[in-house]
Amino acid sequence: MMKKQLAMVIDSSSCIDCKACMTACKVENQVSAGNWRNWIKVQDADFAQSGRPEGADSMHFQPGNCMHCDNPTCVQACPTSATYKDEKDGTVKVNENLCIGCGSCIPACPYGARYRRPDKKIVDKCDFCEHRRQRGDLPACVTTCPTKARTFGDLNDPDSDVARLLKRNKTMRVINPESDTRPNIYYMSMTAPLNWPVKAEIPTPIQLWKFVNPLVWGFVGLNALGVLAMLGKQLLVKDEPPVSVHEEKKEDAHE
Amino acid sequence: MSSNINTPISRRNFLKWSGAATAATVVGTKTPVLHALVPSDKKADASNAEYHFSACDMCLNKCGLVARVENNVVTKLDPNQKFLKSRGMLCARGNAGIAQLYDPDRLKYPLLRKGKRGEGKWQRLSWDEALDYAAEQLKKIADEYTRCGVLFSPGSDMQSTFVHWFAEVFGSYNVTTHESACLLSRNRAYLDTFGEVPFSDVLHTKYIIMAGANRYEALITPDSIDLMSTRKNGTKLVVLDPRYTKTAALADEWYPVRPGTDMAFFLAIIHVIISEKLYDQAYAFEKLYGLEQLSEHVKQYSPEWAEGECEIPAKDITRIARELAAAAPAAIVYPGRRTSDYVNSTQIRRSMAILNALLGNWDRPGGLLAARQVGLSRVELPEAPFYEDNPDDRLDIGKAHMMFEEEGSFKHMRDAIIEAKPYPIKGWFVYKHNPLQSEANRQRTLEMMEKLDFILTVDIAMSDTAWMSDLVLPAPSYLERQDPASGLQGSSACACVVTRNPVVPALFESKPVFEILKELANRLELGEYFDFTLEEYRKQQLKNLPDAERALREDGVYYNPSKLYGVYEGRIYKTKSKKIELYNERYAEMGVDPMPVYKSPRKVPSGRFRMVVGRNAYFTHCTTQNNALLHELMPENSLWIHPKAAAGLGIKEGDLVEVSSAVGRGELKASLKDGIREDTVYMASGFGVLSKGLTNIYGKGACMAEILEDFSDELSGNMAMHETFVKVARKVA
Repeated sequence: MMKKQLAMVIDSSSCIDCKACMTACKVENQVSAGNWRNWIKVQDADFAQSGRPEGADSMHFQPGNCMHCDNPTCVQACPTSATYKDEKDGTVKVNENLCIGCGSCIPACPYGARYRRPDKKIVDKCDFCEHRRQRGDLPACVTTCPTKARTFGDLNDPDSDVARLLKRNKTMRVINPESDTRPNIYYMSMTAPLNWPVKAEIPTPIQLWKFVNPLVWGFVGLNALGVLAMLGKQLLVKDEPPVSVHEEKKEDAHE
Repeated sequence: MSSNINTPISRRNFLKWSGAATAATVVGTKTPVLHALVPSDKKADASNAEYHFSACDMCLNKCGLVARVENNVVTKLDPNQKFLKSRGMLCARGNAGIAQLYDPDRLKYPLLRKGKRGEGKWQRLSWDEALDYAAEQLKKIADEYTRCGVLFSPGSDMQSTFVHWFAEVFGSYNVTTHESACLLSRNRAYLDTFGEVPFSDVLHTKYIIMAGANRYEALITPDSIDLMSTRKNGTKLVVLDPRYTKTAALADEWYPVRPGTDMAFFLAIIHVIISEKLYDQAYAFEKLYGLEQLSEHVKQYSPEWAEGECEIPAKDITRIARELAAAAPAAIVYPGRRTSDYVNSTQIRRSMAILNALLGNWDRPGGLLAARQVGLSRVELPEAPFYEDNPDDRLDIGKAHMMFEEEGSFKHMRDAIIEAKPYPIKGWFVYKHNPLQSEANRQRTLEMMEKLDFILTVDIAMSDTAWMSDLVLPAPSYLERQDPASGLQGSSACACVVTRNPVVPALFESKPVFEILKELANRLELGEYFDFTLEEYRKQQLKNLPDAERALREDGVYYNPSKLYGVYEGRIYKTKSKKIELYNERYAEMGVDPMPVYKSPRKVPSGRFRMVVGRNAYFTHCTTQNNALLHELMPENSLWIHPKAAAGLGIKEGDLVEVSSAVGRGELKASLKDGIREDTVYMASGFGVLSKGLTNIYGKGACMAEILEDFSDELSGNMAMHETFVKVARKVA
């Protein structure tokens, strides 16, 4: 059977910022107060030109959630492989049993899609409502949206709505040029804002760990993993993102 | 036993408690077993979920929904995809219905006031004690002051009809509802032009002007959703609003009109359409009454003149008039809903209705649609008793020229109660209605309450009005009760019937208002008028719709496929002239301007601002601000003020400011917005509450009703909430 790539195509020009998607998601996934699995970004209007913003100067609303990237920096940042790209449906998942709640993946996501879930002490994010899909339902945000700004489906199925939309329309992806994670949320063209994804920050110890991991795995064993994981947790649980050791030339984000 | 309503309970304890309450109710329940609407493919669901149809009650739209219930707990509300009126959606409020059901701030048992009103000291009563007490108080007032000595204020939900019925059999004509803070002036204007209040065929229109309406935030189904669909098909949207609302943001053109001058804009549009003969002359000859008088009347209202009033450039007015006429009859001047804005709001809306008439859009695709029959039968009830000692009329009769007798005017009713003229009112029965937050001039409402001996409020949570009452009775939410059937019209989408059955048993000791009224009726020797069950009532309503019960059970909605366009073919209009009235003869007879005459609004004095109010998509009037899920979307209100105006007052973003008017004041944070006129400020409704029983929002923001002065529309008596000038000052800490 062909592999799936679940994705969303969002027509942000249909969004009226009613926040039905955010509330539906919060209830469906029992997201705690103060946290969200999805969002609506706002591009403020530009009143400087005429006092009556029109066209591109107008206010614009842009719904979003975890982008289920093809090159997910969060997966790179996870010390325990709890965060992984599911080969079957192309979603990026968090295995609750493996997640130690260290939070390394949080600054590794350019989109701020992840948060610490206080009740389970793990990291949580959008999973395209996996439990709803298992029942044959669409994700809660898609079902509830008044103006149907969000379209969901399998990109690899040429008959799906998302594949058709992608084929027939000019679309774009919202990325930080320094961290192109190849997201699977596509926007119909002219979406805004564009300058909000941050550069992915993957903590140094995690990068080192990922490098030595295969070598030590065989003889260090699970105990050592536990020790390192706890060490990692202690080092990383602070709120400040750890210093990056990227060798790339430093540039200011140009958007 | 005295208990303070404000005693906090933790979330965990609440859930334990509500779980226990649920279990207890299930054991001994006589609640009718409901149709567990479990489609066969879902029966294997590992979670054992059940799915029930219902209709939302978070606002007035009654959108169809499917409630998922797991282990007796409602875990999710999803849109009923077969519910065409909402186009298969559920908004943020609809999704937050769960937080109304499981709100720790819910009223749990009957409470009797101890200490002063508003002190928050309550005694828990049993239902028998509470109902005995209420009946005794009502009887005492009836004996001493006649039965009209009790004012009834029903909300707008599906059981409110029983409050109206109770008022009738109890014998009081004095009933005021939410409507006189809302849409009476619009209704007046359209009734007096077309003979009925229309629906807008937003989906099929080609051109739409919205003035005094904000459909992308004040959600009305299907209009809000259809507005997006029609825009995607190229329909043009022009918005007039002193505020850059989300509707303005998504429009083709937005004009920050000078508040109160919309009539100048519309009269000028009419001027262009008539002077350039852009209307369908054959149609006008056949259908319209008073075109000659109107043509003469609008000669004075040129676009150049209008520009000086409404600050919309004359060339734009002329262009919009031509575009609008070119799109006619699939062109609409949107009638709007809440028109409680200016002292001449009926006449403002008349100018819009008259323009619609000239566009020839009545009863045609993309225009204004007539009401359709849904087919519900009127339930036969015994004739209400006649009480000889009652006064002749309701208390607020004749206070405005063209008041609706069944709605009255809260403002005029309140004034008359305070003056106790022509007769005193001493009791108040309130059901899911919150005048202390929704009616302008809160101090005046408090003054009215001081004149009353007995105030009874039935509600789900401790609203401000409940907080100031003498007896508070807990009602269940819409997910816990059985309701009558309700007919809905959704523009071109449908004419349909919805109903409700309990999705879960009622929590705590809450009791539906129907049961409360029935038991009160029994105690007042009026039992024979409530000698029916809800089931029987609903059966009668549906008796001529043989397929309705099945459809409601299987689809959660029943559609009556009735004619949509051309309803008026071969029919006369329900007006005096039997035509569409550009010129209203009845108005002329009463000394009212038969055609709208423009009067410039009062100038904003220097150093003051005009305060305007309006909705957002999270709150229904003043009722959902404390809902935990919605509270997170907007935890408090703020004062929208233009950066230049703010700079002149030394106000920065987030500063605490004091807003004061001739009648009240409030403190809230400033929100600097380029998208509001420099002479205007705005705040959202429902904050600055008195009730300590609303724990999420108590102490947050300012109360709109406290600051607004109580102007009213001269014709309909509708509240006029955009007539107040306020002073704004930075609050020095």
